[in-house]
Amino acid sequence: MGKNKGLSLLPGFVFALAILAGCSSRGGTEQEPTFTYAMSGQYRPFNYFDENNQLTGFDVEIGRALAEKMGMKPVPIATPWEGLISGLKAKKYDAILGSMTITPERQKQVDFSDPYYVSGPQLFVRGDSHIKDIQDIKDNTPVGVLISSVYDQEARKYTRNIKNYTSDVTALQDLARGRVEAVITDRFVGTIAAREQKLDIKPVGDLLFVENVGIAFRKGDPLREKVNQAMEEIKADGTYLAISKKYFGTDISN
Amino acid sequence: MDFLHYLVTSIPFFIRAAAVTVELTATALAMGMVIGLVFALMKISGRRFWRCIADTYITVIRGTPLIVQLFAIYFGLATIVDFGSFWSAAIALAVHNGAYIAEIFRGGIQSIDRGQMEAARSLGMSYGLAMRRVILPQAFKRVVPPLGNQFIIGLKDSSLAAFVTMKELFGVSMQLASTHFAELQFYTIAGLYYLALVVLFTFLVNRLERRLKIES
Repeated sequence: MGKNKGLSLLPGFVFALAILAGCSSRGGTEQEPTFTYAMSGQYRPFNYFDENNQLTGFDVEIGRALAEKMGMKPVPIATPWEGLISGLKAKKYDAILGSMTITPERQKQVDFSDPYYVSGPQLFVRGDSHIKDIQDIKDNTPVGVLISSVYDQEARKYTRNIKNYTSDVTALQDLARGRVEAVITDRFVGTIAAREQKLDIKPVGDLLFVENVGIAFRKGDPLREKVNQAMEEIKADGTYLAISKKYFGTDISN
Repeated sequence: MDFLHYLVTSIPFFIRAAAVTVELTATALAMGMVIGLVFALMKISGRRFWRCIADTYITVIRGTPLIVQLFAIYFGLATIVDFGSFWSAAIALAVHNGAYIAEIFRGGIQSIDRGQMEAARSLGMSYGLAMRRVILPQAFKRVVPPLGNQFIIGLKDSSLAAFVTMKELFGVSMQLASTHFAELQFYTIAGLYYLALVVLFTFLVNRLERRLKIES
């Protein structure tokens, strides 16, 4: 008797699960449409989980501002960096808004918005290091970089001893511990990680190059135009500047 | 054909990575065998104290995921002692597989007829000598199949080392997949290399089993 009862509940349970699992982006016929944007969630201060386990950061807030301008509901999600583009193509979310640098290789895969901020990679070393700039990186110097990032590509020009991490912040921690001799990452990410975690690391040399960072969409998705439009608007009304000031004390849009 | 192109051009990367995978697995399982034997003997010892320690070890290790153990060693212990990525992965794999190997050894030892031990002891052998000369050689023959099975699991589990910056098969495939935006191709290729290693290993274990059979 009890057994049968359990079995009869099963279809209902499966159905409920299916509904839960089926919460896809741009669904919502009765409520406003959603704007689902993805990032690694491992890139403080651009995108990270705060002490309440809420996904937050510069990217998250920009996404929220854009969604509000477009009359959509913002849904930021975190997924591993190396799978971001595949997930976008598989329609798991509408956009990648996670500090992705615009590169020719990526442009073959996705369409980018206009750049939403400009930054550059910086070489970080331990406080007592003899390394003065990128030229001091030798063929066998262990360098830590985020897997499949532009910094990963850049580091390969100087050393064969690459240590790949799934997060820039973890790489910086291992630099301070002496597991790698240098880390190439975004200047803001490095300096803020050093300050917040009191890591004994320092930036050396100039920015290695200038990066234009964009929001990625599926090829031919009209959403890109809407987002570009909304980006103009939040820059014009001061929303962008307020968010930028909050995180970096300066305007990082160019 | 993308796939064939990637398969061929990635050979040097994957061969080097396969060497790392094999080196890591061999190191870890050699240590795991020692750990396994020690704890197996503890588990069948007459002293309750030893049995208790072995039980605790096996329960804790079997009850927690390998990735958790690996991160605890590599990232967690970093402030106290730094093993580096290779040894962190090797220790985690050894400790983890050691618990399973201990159970395999114990089963093998206990499957040998009690009369064997009694006969050896009545010939005047000490417990240790009887273990070494009579029981363990017979037990070894019986544990070859389950041990081979555990080695295959260990080999596949070594892929987790990719998450502590190691450039083994999975680490290299992750990197190539995201560089070329060809996940399906490169993960399939990585799978083929693992499969090749497992098939080769299975063949060697089968040959060992046959040799042991003929000897008896």
